[in-house]
Amino acid sequence: MRVAFLVNDLQLSGGVGVIVRHAKELSTLEGWDVTLVLVREEEQPSWHGYEHLPHLHVRTREQALCEHYDVAVATWWETTFTLFELSAERYAYFVQSLEDRFYHHDEAERLGAGLTLDLPVAFITEARWIADTLAGVRPDASCYLVRNGIDKDVFGPLQRAPINTADPLRVLVEGSPSSWFKHVHDAIQAAGAMREPRHVTVVCSDREALGDVVADEIVGPLSHREMADLYERTDVVLKLSSVEGMFGPPLEGFHRGATCVVTPVTGHEEYVEHGWNGLLTDWGDLRGTARQLDLLARDRELLHFLRINALETARAWPSWEQSSQFMAGALLAIQREPPPAAAAGAARLLADLRGGIETYNGHLRERMEFARRALRYERPVARLRRSPTGQRLIVLRRNRLVKFAARPLRPLTRRARDLLS
Amino acid sequence: MSDWQERITHETAPAIRAEHELRYRIAAPLILAGGPWVDLGCGNGVAAAAALGNERPAHAVLVDVEAQAVALAARELGMSTAVQLEGDLTDADDLQRIGEALRDFQGDPVVTCFEVVEHLSTFLPLLEWAGALTRERSATFVISVPNDAFWAIKNPHHLTAWSEGAFEELRRLLPSEHTLFRQVAITGSALTGWDGEPVEHDLTIRVGAEGTVATHFIAAVGPRRHDLWRGALAVQTDMLEQRRWERQRESDAAVAQEVANAQRAAVASQDLTIARQKKELREQTAQFDQWRAYIHELERELGRPLSGASAEDSPA
Repeated sequence: MRVAFLVNDLQLSGGVGVIVRHAKELSTLEGWDVTLVLVREEEQPSWHGYEHLPHLHVRTREQALCEHYDVAVATWWETTFTLFELSAERYAYFVQSLEDRFYHHDEAERLGAGLTLDLPVAFITEARWIADTLAGVRPDASCYLVRNGIDKDVFGPLQRAPINTADPLRVLVEGSPSSWFKHVHDAIQAAGAMREPRHVTVVCSDREALGDVVADEIVGPLSHREMADLYERTDVVLKLSSVEGMFGPPLEGFHRGATCVVTPVTGHEEYVEHGWNGLLTDWGDLRGTARQLDLLARDRELLHFLRINALETARAWPSWEQSSQFMAGALLAIQREPPPAAAAGAARLLADLRGGIETYNGHLRERMEFARRALRYERPVARLRRSPTGQRLIVLRRNRLVKFAARPLRPLTRRARDLLS
Repeated sequence: MSDWQERITHETAPAIRAEHELRYRIAAPLILAGGPWVDLGCGNGVAAAAALGNERPAHAVLVDVEAQAVALAARELGMSTAVQLEGDLTDADDLQRIGEALRDFQGDPVVTCFEVVEHLSTFLPLLEWAGALTRERSATFVISVPNDAFWAIKNPHHLTAWSEGAFEELRRLLPSEHTLFRQVAITGSALTGWDGEPVEHDLTIRVGAEGTVATHFIAAVGPRRHDLWRGALAVQTDMLEQRRWERQRESDAAVAQEVANAQRAAVASQDLTIARQKKELREQTAQFDQWRAYIHELERELGRPLSGASAEDSPA
């Protein structure tokens, strides 16, 4: 079985980590040969850690174009651009999130990412919510579920949840601060708003994007093993994301005896049960989140109850070895079944494209209207500035006495500026 | 009751035997329909024998990883003519041998595979083999896995973990035409006559409301999946055994608590001893330092090397 997984790069990220792990596990199966294809032109095959696996390869796009595969699998919406360039018996798409949600409404990538779900491919996904969504939008396509495993060697479930009855509540905030949908700064703010004693640790690989924040400890980037140790020293994993795929970090925390306070983000429903193994908090309710953390800091019996149940949840979660058996099963099934009919996907693609064009036309018209209105104000203002009166006013504005006298008018000028902007 | 006895025997608790027997009961109409029956992971055959009652299929292939278990199952079922295979269900060659054994028999086979998958290091070869058998020989395949999320402690015998989510992953690998069941635990009470004679009651039980937690998940694929029996099985609770288990647990917990209390007291006492000894050590160290200073003073007066000091510190 020759499988190609298409990736943008092999940089450290959750999504790429999942692909690499599956590729590694599959390559150890008898008769399987797995290739990671780097679709970005500037990416060179740099490969560390798995060189000893003879059936796991890394190839550039150009190298992969000369090969033939049984199944080629796109793993991120941009990798679908290369998917059909490869020679393969079957084409599949491993969907780790609905990736259009990573972009704001007026970003072109949002439409692009959404359109890739209309391609004539078989789907594999890692979360039931994605599988259910795909079943709704693509009832014609087969969809296999392969939930991410947990590395039980690193994040092995503890025998017993540690008991913290006296120390300050240890809160862990994790995530990339540069991803707007992770809301890392909100989480730090919520933890900072607690009234009870706490110890807040922020794990972050990008300190620059994090900026100046108030926390007891800022660490990172951390290896998986260091992360596992940190989870073990943690009472609560705090995540306020608005977009997630499988939502792994709280689950890793569960394995190391931590509970969680999280938003009801997609993916949470797979394993977080409010009041049983974690707490759910409302969107954007930082004060409410702080109160929930305070509750856990005060009620240590509740804290421990949640922690032991979190550990129970973790024990029933599959390992990577098990997860990749499902991946292998899905790929074999895709290879066996006939390729999907192109017509249904094409019809859907064109309908979505038309919808997208209409949306962008609307955006464009709106912007042109803004530009026209701005010009209407800008022209007279520019004329006034160039006139002798205008020049005198500009000079006058810099005068300290005038500045002092005009201070009471500031709210008015601020409002006017807001209206104009 | 927590029980990790993975082989069902006549001594197994009645509730657990009933749970296993029910799975064979649902497959019994298929097993007795005339085609060959393959029991993968047959164990000692106790549950299957109880479920089939006095009837037996014409042809059976009994498979287990232990030859002794296969022989016991054949004896328990009273089927000396059954094909007895010792096989590893993760091994494609062993699975092929099972398929070859089936070639000698006419009719659509039924394959039961109860509480086996979680014991396999890889279930992929089994799934592939079962899929091929279903397609090529119109076999009906009935499989069950436990709900590991139901248990607070990891079962040390299980090599893979199963839950609603994992079963959903498995379901999507099965042919789209399949039948699914949740097996749930039941509890209840019954009356018996004063004279101790056994009586039989017909029961009506309402099961499966929203939020029902399954103890096991069952899936069936193949042309005869609709013929599976749907029912419940209740047996008298072994109150003596249950009482023994509960009292044992209570007793163990009480003893453990007492031991913990004693150890806590011992630790507290040791803390006091350590604190006292630390104080004594500090005092003795101070006294020793005073003595050493005095001896060094004398040694300096005598021009002798200082005891316990390096040559540079000693007077020339």
